[in-house]
Amino acid sequence: MKRLVAIVEDEAAIRDNYAAAFSREGYAVRTYATRALAMSAFAARLPDLAVIDISLQDEPEGGFELCRQLRALSAELPIIFLTARDSEIDAVSGLRLGADDFLTKDLSLPHLIARVNALFRRVDALRKPAGGTGELIRRGPLSLDAERMQAQWDGKVVLLSLTEFWMVHALARHPGHVRNRQQLMDAANVVLDDNTITSHVKRIRRKFQAVDPDFDAVQTVYGMGYRWVE
Amino acid sequence: MSLRLKLLLLGLATLVLPWAGCNYAREMESALRSGEQTSLQAVAQTIAASLQGRSDLLYREPPPTDAPTDTAEPPAAPQPPASQTSPTAGAYDLRPIALASAPLLDGYSEDWPRDPSAWAYFRKDARHHFGLLSGVFERMLYLLLEVHDEHPLFDAPGINTLDPATFGDRIWIGFDDPQGEQQQLFLAATAPGAVTARRIESGEYGQQTAVLEPRVHGAWQPTRDGYRIELRVPLSMLGSRFGVLVDDRDARGAVPVSYGTLRSDDLHTLGRLIVADPALGSYLTQFLQPGLKLAVTTPDGRVLARADALAQSATLDAGTPLLARLYRRFVDRPGERRLLESHAPIYDRDRAAVIGRLEVTQTADRWMRLRDRALTRMLNFTVSTSLVAVIAMFAFAAWLALRLERLRRASESALTRSGIETSFPETEARDELGDVARGFATLLSRLNEYTSYLRTLAGKLAHEIRTPLTIVRSSLDNLDAEQVPEAARTYLARARQGSERLNAILLAMGAATRVEEAIGSTERVDFDLVPVLSSAIGAYRSAFAPRTFLAELPAGPVMLHGAPDLIVQALDKLIDNAVDFSPAASAITVRLLLLPEAAVIEVENPGPPLPPQLAGRLFESLWQSRADGDSRPHFGLGLYIVRLIAEFHGGTAAARNLPDGSGVGVSVRLARQQ
Repeated sequence: MKRLVAIVEDEAAIRDNYAAAFSREGYAVRTYATRALAMSAFAARLPDLAVIDISLQDEPEGGFELCRQLRALSAELPIIFLTARDSEIDAVSGLRLGADDFLTKDLSLPHLIARVNALFRRVDALRKPAGGTGELIRRGPLSLDAERMQAQWDGKVVLLSLTEFWMVHALARHPGHVRNRQQLMDAANVVLDDNTITSHVKRIRRKFQAVDPDFDAVQTVYGMGYRWVE
Repeated sequence: MSLRLKLLLLGLATLVLPWAGCNYAREMESALRSGEQTSLQAVAQTIAASLQGRSDLLYREPPPTDAPTDTAEPPAAPQPPASQTSPTAGAYDLRPIALASAPLLDGYSEDWPRDPSAWAYFRKDARHHFGLLSGVFERMLYLLLEVHDEHPLFDAPGINTLDPATFGDRIWIGFDDPQGEQQQLFLAATAPGAVTARRIESGEYGQQTAVLEPRVHGAWQPTRDGYRIELRVPLSMLGSRFGVLVDDRDARGAVPVSYGTLRSDDLHTLGRLIVADPALGSYLTQFLQPGLKLAVTTPDGRVLARADALAQSATLDAGTPLLARLYRRFVDRPGERRLLESHAPIYDRDRAAVIGRLEVTQTADRWMRLRDRALTRMLNFTVSTSLVAVIAMFAFAAWLALRLERLRRASESALTRSGIETSFPETEARDELGDVARGFATLLSRLNEYTSYLRTLAGKLAHEIRTPLTIVRSSLDNLDAEQVPEAARTYLARARQGSERLNAILLAMGAATRVEEAIGSTERVDFDLVPVLSSAIGAYRSAFAPRTFLAELPAGPVMLHGAPDLIVQALDKLIDNAVDFSPAASAITVRLLLLPEAAVIEVENPGPPLPPQLAGRLFESLWQSRADGDSRPHFGLGLYIVRLIAEFHGGTAAARNLPDGSGVGVSVRLARQQ
């Protein structure tokens, strides 16, 4: 059975382009132009993954509201914000509402598809019993489950967004090696500017520090990039 | 011409006040003068009336009834005495002037009035003539004779002055005595100096002797072309007739050439003596006041008597304040007469004939002093008014200029400071300058809105363009998956390149907004700037080879409280600029200076200097001066971001040309104490 991807986007051309891309990848696609249309459909049947724009026609924050309602319906449903907005505040509030990823619309379709695929992989992996066959990276207290896209620090789960997970993954795979920003972007399948990467790194640190206040494994190499130190 | 100068000139216009005052003073003066003239005329007429019919007082003898009119001009050539017919012919009359003082009888004429018209001339021929000046002072008649004589000849000294052989030049005077008897005296001198008249008397037996007449004496002095005799005769000796005869001899004892106002044969007088009674002078004196001069003249203008108190009037300048004297210089017209004159005829008892004239002269001092007092007061007032007006105008102008200057400075600096200064001086003022200032403030606040709109425009634009760009890019992505002919792939690739560039532009446009957001959410940490910089410089070395980087960093740690990420980001921008504007393989210097209150990062690169018009604007948003042809998108946000980051660290950013003009240095000052 095909997985159902819901696209909530008020711009018809983008909506249809995304729909075409997802269809080509073998997903079933439903598209909605407004929050009301989407919610009535979701009430009837939950999709397997939702791609939501923040501003929906006459509701500038309609995407956030939709995300909150959707998250209320299902805690596991992968939600991706895809928006023309790129402000830090929007990203933070989107992720805080329980979105799995916050992407700007300049992301290319292949990158988007890659993320969606990854999210589905994670859903699948989470459904399997723990301790599967997936690739597991251990760096001191850190363990990264690439299959489930889950990070643990001292055995405690650190909830990372997809982009953040891929960045940590890229850094921790080769500890001590400096990863510049371009490399981090490539790893995370995103195109971001320096400040956004910096804030991603800060967010990663903050999330690890929430688990372990002494966390200092992500080091800034000024002028070059970041590296993982054990 | 500055406003101050203009208003000062305008203030000078109030000097018209003193000018008007001067004119007013002149008017007043002429009114005073005509009033004085009238009253003086009244004085003259009163005194003249009191003298009406008093010919006894005016003349010692009955006045000439045939008031001569031709004697005003000197008698050029009197008829020879032989042909003399009328004993009353005016040409021989002696009309002494009234003397102001008694001449010293020394034979010199210096102490006589210098009045050519007072002289009477008697001329026999070219070789024989003399001039006679006569005057009365108190009760004496004074005579001054200037005799032309090519051969002046003194008497031979001897005992008998009546011996004809001793005779030199002699002077005869003849007159009536008060009893009407004819008297003759002669003057003879044997040497220059004092001379006394002699009278020829006949003795009982017919012998003649020369008797000294001591009441008539004088002095005899030779002159360049003759001799001069000064003589004094008491008026009490004289009756109504008087004459002078010159006996000119070329050799002692020779027959003389005689001429003058005596008949040369019997020495009888030809002319009358017209002289006032001595009492006239004292009569006039009773009318005298200080500053007044009274004179009685004959109808033809010969002064008979005068009383003079002009000099008793205090001189005008004495005790007059300097200021008043200065004012008078402006008011007095040159050549203005300082004396008032008036005259009135004196009639005889029947008012039928004019027997004389009364002349009254008054100094102008009295009304001049009046005028001066008024003038001084008025001029003091008007000049001080003008002065106050000028000073007030100047002060006002200075104040205006100061306010204008403040406005100007504020308007000049409004745009060069960070952002736009909308607080403006003088906006509280309620005058036109306040209107101007308010206009400026309004303009600036509008400009500020406009500028902040521009500043956010890039971000807004980026946001708005992102949606259509997404349509294009997602369409291209979809197109990739379709069966596209190989020939069309080229165009697809180009479309993708174009959209990538658009995307890069969008990123650059939003950069400033993101930095502002990032700054807003940045947490400050304590960190050592030195390793941060050295790490960054290490990265630049590898990134921008073959350019070399010189790091001048302090040995010790430089602790700051701030965001190292942002500082590195600012440094990135500076290095980007330095690399873009410097030749390949050049050396870029990064220096960290430690000041007591701040750490200063300096980046210096060789390259073209900054154009002067950029000074102060380099760190503004949306300002750029890159040469065209750079393919990378630039929105002039790089240095603006540097400024934002410097300001986040309580500092400033500044750019300057290197002293030797070889390049540009940018310094970012970061405060050390937060």
